[in-house]
Amino acid sequence: MSALDLGLREQASRIASGEIDPGELLDECLARIEERNPELNAVVATFPDQSRRMLERATDGPLRGVPVLIKDEWPLPWRAETVGAASVPGARLEPGESGPYRALRDAGAVIAGVANMHELGSSSTGNTSVYGPTHNPWDLERCPGGSSSGPGAAVAGGLVSGAVGADGLGSIRFPAAYCGLTGLKPTFGRSAMDGHHIANTETIVSGPLCSDAADCRLLASALFGEPLPAGGGEAGRRRSPTDQGLRIGVVRDPYWDDVAPGVRELCEAALEALRAEVAGEVIEVELREKDLVLPASVLIAQSEEAAHLTPANVNALSPELGVLNRGILKLRAILPGALTARAFLVRAKVRRELAELFERIDVLAWPTVPAVAPPLTDPTIELPSGPSSADAGNARQAVLANLTGVPGISVPVGRDGGMPAALQLLGGWGSDALLLDAAEALERATDREFVELRPGALA
Amino acid sequence: MEAVSPLQRYLEAALETFGIEADEVERAVMAGVWSVYEPGMELLRTADLDGAEHELRADLSRPPKR
Repeated sequence: MSALDLGLREQASRIASGEIDPGELLDECLARIEERNPELNAVVATFPDQSRRMLERATDGPLRGVPVLIKDEWPLPWRAETVGAASVPGARLEPGESGPYRALRDAGAVIAGVANMHELGSSSTGNTSVYGPTHNPWDLERCPGGSSSGPGAAVAGGLVSGAVGADGLGSIRFPAAYCGLTGLKPTFGRSAMDGHHIANTETIVSGPLCSDAADCRLLASALFGEPLPAGGGEAGRRRSPTDQGLRIGVVRDPYWDDVAPGVRELCEAALEALRAEVAGEVIEVELREKDLVLPASVLIAQSEEAAHLTPANVNALSPELGVLNRGILKLRAILPGALTARAFLVRAKVRRELAELFERIDVLAWPTVPAVAPPLTDPTIELPSGPSSADAGNARQAVLANLTGVPGISVPVGRDGGMPAALQLLGGWGSDALLLDAAEALERATDREFVELRPGALA
Repeated sequence: MEAVSPLQRYLEAALETFGIEADEVERAVMAGVWSVYEPGMELLRTADLDGAEHELRADLSRPPKR
C-alpha cells in the first residue's frame, strides 16, 4: 500500500515519527494527480515548486508535510482563485494569503494543488466549470457533487487524503455524500475564511472533506486554529455520544419522507446503528417553519453576491460563462428586496426555533441528499414526490445549517445501486466536535465498513 | 394560452425596467430556475410574519440571544 493511501492522521503520524519521507510523499502525490486526474478532472492547478517550498518551510504543526488540496475558492500567494469560472462579475481576484492558506501553512500542511469546483459555486452537481466537469470516482459518468466537486472527487479518487472545501448551501456535504466521504460544514465563523471573494457572507464556511471523521477532525482543527478534542472538552457541549444517551431528533416530512427508497433504507439502518451504539434515543420533532427554510436560504445566499450585479456588469457577462450562471446572475440582479427582507425575518424565527429544539435534542438527523449522484449530463433525481432537479432536492436537505449557522456533517452509510449514500447530522452552534464524535460512533457501529469503501477501479 | 404567474410577470418587467439584456436562452434558464423556486418564494411572500421579531446584530456563530 502506498503511503498516499493512508488517512491524513496516519500520514501525519508517520511523517512525525520519520517513517515516511514527506518529500517522497509529495512526489508520489503529484505523480498520482498526473496519473488519475485526466479521468477525474478534480485538480485544476499544481505548482510543484511552491508545494516544495511549503514543505521546506513547514512548521512542526499537526499536519507537517501532509499534502492536501484547496478548492478554487480562495487565493494563494502565487495564484488567484477563479471560482471555477471564466470571470466573476464585479470581483477583483488576486493572489494573496487567504485564511485557509494561512491555516494550512501554520499547521505544516503542503498544498499540492487547487481543486476544481462548480462554476461560481452555483450547483450541487459539479457538472459545470471553466475547467470542465469533475467526474465521480465511483462512476465517471455521474456527478461528483458540488460545488466542492474537486475536493470530493480528489479524496475519493485517492489523489490526497484531505481537501478543503466551502459550504454555502451544502457544498461540502453534497460531494461528501456523492463520493462516499465524510464532510464537515463547521459552525459559521469558526473556520478560516479570510480572502473569500464574498467577504460579507453569512452562509459560507470552509471545511474538510476526508475519508473519515477523525481525519476531518484533524483538518478542521487546522482550519479552526484550535484542537477539536474527541469525546469531550468542547465549550458549551451538553454531552458526548461516548457518555451514552445522545438525543437524536428527526423531522420526517420532508427530510425523510421525500427521499429515494434505497437511500432512506440505508439512512434508517445507520440511524438505528448510531442510536444503539450510543444508547441514544430517536425523537420525532417538528420544524414549524420548514417550508420557508429553502426560499429564505436561497434568497439570503443570492443577495450576498448581488451587490456587484449592476445592469452594466450583468450585460457584460463573459460568453464563456455557462448559460445557467448567466441566467442565475441576471435573476439575482432583480430579486425583490422585500422578499429578501422577509427571508431575514424567517432566519430569525428559524434560529429561535432551532435554539429551542436543541434544548431537547443533541443532533438532528436526515439523509444528506435525497438520492444518489445523478448522471453528469442529466442531473435529475426521482423522489416519492416526483422528478426533481438534483439541486432543488439537495438544497432542501442542506440549507438549514447555512441559514442558521449551525454545523453539519455528512457520513457515508452504504451504497444504493453502487453509488454512495449518506446520513447528515446537524448540531447546535459550536457543537462541531460533538458531530465528529457522533460520526465516529456511527463508524464504530458499522465496523468502519462504509468509510473504508473505495471506488472499485481504485481499490 | 398558458397563464403567466405574477412572479413571472415581475421577472419580465424587472428585466425591462433595469435595462438588463437577456437572450432567449438566458430567459428560458431564468424562467426554469424561477419555476423551481417560485412555490417557495410565493410561500415566503404570503407567509404570516406579522409580529415576528428581527434578530438584531445576529451572530451566526452562536444561538440567538434570548
